[in-house]
Amino acid sequence: MKIAYNHLVQYMPGNPTIEEISDSLFQLGHEHEIEDNIFDMEFTPNRGDCLSINGLLRDLAVFYSIDLNQEIYNERLNELNIDFKNQSEKICPKISFLKLEIDKVPELYKKSLEDYFSDLNLSKNNFFTDVSNYLSYETGQPTHCYDADTINEKLIFHEIEKQEEFETLLDKKITLKGKNAVFSLNNKVINLAGIIGCKNTACSTHTKTALVECAYFKPEVIIGKSVKYDIKSEASHKFERGVDKDSQEKVLRRFIQVVSEHANIKEMSIVSYNYKENQDIKIAVNVNKINQIIGININENDYLNYLTKLGFAIEENFIKVPSFRSDIKTQNDLAEEVARVIGYNNISRAEINIPKSDNRNYKDIENKLRYFLLDHGFYEVINSPFVGITAKEAIKVDNPLDSNRAFLRKNLTDSLVENLLFNERRQKDSVKLFEISDIYSSKNGIHKNRMLSIVASGRVGLNYQDFSKKIDTKYLTEMFQEILPNEFFDFQILSRDSLDTKIKSEIITLEVNIERFSADILSYREASKSPESFAQFNPISDLPISTKDLSYSIKDFSKIRELENLFLSYQSDIVKNIFIFDYFYNEKSQEVKIGFRIVFQSKETTLTAAQIELAYNDLIDQSLKIDGISIPGI
Amino acid sequence: MSKPKGILSPKLVKDRGSLHPINYMKDSIMDLLVSFGFEIIDGPEIESEEFNFDMLNIRKSHPARQMHDTFYVERKSNLLRTHTSPVQIRGMLEKKPPLAFISGGKVFRKDDDATHLPMFHQVEGIYVDENVSFSQLKDLIYKIIYSLFGEDVELRFRPSYFPFTEPSAEVDILSKEGKWLEILGCGLVNPVVLENCNIDYKIYSGLAFGLGIERIAMLKHGVTDIREFYKSNLDFLSQFK
Repeated sequence: MKIAYNHLVQYMPGNPTIEEISDSLFQLGHEHEIEDNIFDMEFTPNRGDCLSINGLLRDLAVFYSIDLNQEIYNERLNELNIDFKNQSEKICPKISFLKLEIDKVPELYKKSLEDYFSDLNLSKNNFFTDVSNYLSYETGQPTHCYDADTINEKLIFHEIEKQEEFETLLDKKITLKGKNAVFSLNNKVINLAGIIGCKNTACSTHTKTALVECAYFKPEVIIGKSVKYDIKSEASHKFERGVDKDSQEKVLRRFIQVVSEHANIKEMSIVSYNYKENQDIKIAVNVNKINQIIGININENDYLNYLTKLGFAIEENFIKVPSFRSDIKTQNDLAEEVARVIGYNNISRAEINIPKSDNRNYKDIENKLRYFLLDHGFYEVINSPFVGITAKEAIKVDNPLDSNRAFLRKNLTDSLVENLLFNERRQKDSVKLFEISDIYSSKNGIHKNRMLSIVASGRVGLNYQDFSKKIDTKYLTEMFQEILPNEFFDFQILSRDSLDTKIKSEIITLEVNIERFSADILSYREASKSPESFAQFNPISDLPISTKDLSYSIKDFSKIRELENLFLSYQSDIVKNIFIFDYFYNEKSQEVKIGFRIVFQSKETTLTAAQIELAYNDLIDQSLKIDGISIPGI
Repeated sequence: MSKPKGILSPKLVKDRGSLHPINYMKDSIMDLLVSFGFEIIDGPEIESEEFNFDMLNIRKSHPARQMHDTFYVERKSNLLRTHTSPVQIRGMLEKKPPLAFISGGKVFRKDDDATHLPMFHQVEGIYVDENVSFSQLKDLIYKIIYSLFGEDVELRFRPSYFPFTEPSAEVDILSKEGKWLEILGCGLVNPVVLENCNIDYKIYSGLAFGLGIERIAMLKHGVTDIREFYKSNLDFLSQFK
């Protein structure tokens, strides 16, 4: 909600600066941004009472003197004779109507009304609607103005549950569905209560007689309607958060005052319906409890003084909560008021000592398994549980984001296969992935299983021992036998026939319930360690990868390490990785052969053959400076 | 290959995998909290409205319960938990105070844009004992933040609103660029919630806090797009060893 600094400070005799008010608002918990002397406020949903000039001033009154010199029409008024029936009193326990006739529609507005539109860059509509909007901004209480000449039948407020077309006063056509609180005239909806009225009964620039309706609607009746019908409405925003239950007639009297400052009122009358008297909320004065909750030590005078400034009344040993503060019910609520006034950041820390728990980490087996997989080059992934294809006993999402995410997955493997293909498309020739997650199914209730899935394909590893070995069921079976020699795991070979890929290497999968793993795994000593620090992320390149190999013949074995160091420490913007893919000792010729694979990729551009050759030749030149090594063929 | 003595083989560099950075961050935070005395408890990702909302004082009228914010399943008989707080409700119903629980895991909200995903991760904690105060909560939060971001970090508490805590606060840290970044939500457990769990709020009080893992992981690792975490790109994952 946007509130102009000028509109606040006119009621603050001390003329605090915008920065001072901003600091106070933050301390009170009212987040905002400032642009061109306008506060763009973001109130928490429990503070609907602050959605106005007066509401914000009520909170600021704890720090500043406030002079709310808004005149109000206090003369006796004739009772309005209106044919009105409230058929849903529970959801609208209070409602008032004011009928006003003016002699002439004003062409110019007084300063305060004009400033409202100009300072906030708002468009005007018609006189009565403009006053209504202004008063909603000033008081927080929305009103709705009908052209009184159109209300010529019995007006009914009720909650209906039928489909009906409705055209809003903003020319938007909507179809009412489900339960809706509405005002009807002649069996036709003329106002979606608390949200927006219809075009046919709205005031126009020619309206001289208006029927102004001012009500309290239960927030739960209004909530969700503006989203449901895609209608942005200031009124619904306020009603959803709750307006002052006792302000309706007072706001209408203020309405008269503002109208009277602009036009000669020929006739006016008012009627108020109170179907249920408000019960005052009273909370016992207990400063010790407040001190205990916050962990401070204030005296009772200071405590009550804070609350009084915020609009609370002290009656004997009780604190009476003002009608506009529907969020206050308990001692904890009052403690929050005090904490806000003191300032959360000014409350001292008190040392906390939580008794230590003896319980072991219940996920020991799972964690051991994760590190075991890490040791063998597997990467942990996390996938979305939402899938588009149903399976037997799959759980259906009632309100999915889209049809591709309408069910919960029944297995983890399908997601991992997608991950595998994603990486293969990025030229990865050794992919080992695992995921541990809950999966759910429905059969006579909802069932949960915690599963491990692994998917692997391609080379066993990118080192000279594993480079030429392919991942297969034998490799994985032997791997698991290392930790669980007596347990059998049913690895599957997944056919690539139905997959969008030209790669031929076998895809091996396993999906198994974590409960299958015995505590024997706890004796496994992992080599992988947790990272010592939080690695800084380097942006990823999606540009093509190129590889080139270099093979060396070495007769002076003392040079092996020098050559290895040269390659493995080589730095270039376009060299992504270098590893030894081949190492062979030829006993007959008494020489060692070492093969290096160089992986090229740029983060900025697709590499040309010339760019790659440049780096490649640089490596050759540097390496051939080492005595006792040669490159066969060069 | 049989290798004669005197030949120095190249180092055999075995490629190790890595934990997912979100799980690693979650585990790190939970390990830290265990060291403070908290006990880890777990609960289902598919929850009832009663545990996800009612028991936590989130009224029927609360916007979070609307179909546009919460995923409902199986003809609205259940939902995908929107936070890990229902796990704490289950814990409080099972055990009498003093108690100190943490729970971490996946949560779901009906969001999908550049900064929000329909699935993300939280760690939440609760401590219930006699005379637990807001100033003790502040001490705990300082300890958590200092452990995660170092003792030089500047932090601030802002009043906020959660139906299950009162008073409620949000905590920000000051970034190197001078911008306040929201890190966690916390507060004293609303007595209504204690009462719902058959805990006498006249004797006991509690504190609670919750952290969004993705946000902290993004800050710690310098990741700017939350979606990177869930592409399963090996070039991404291999950076977190």
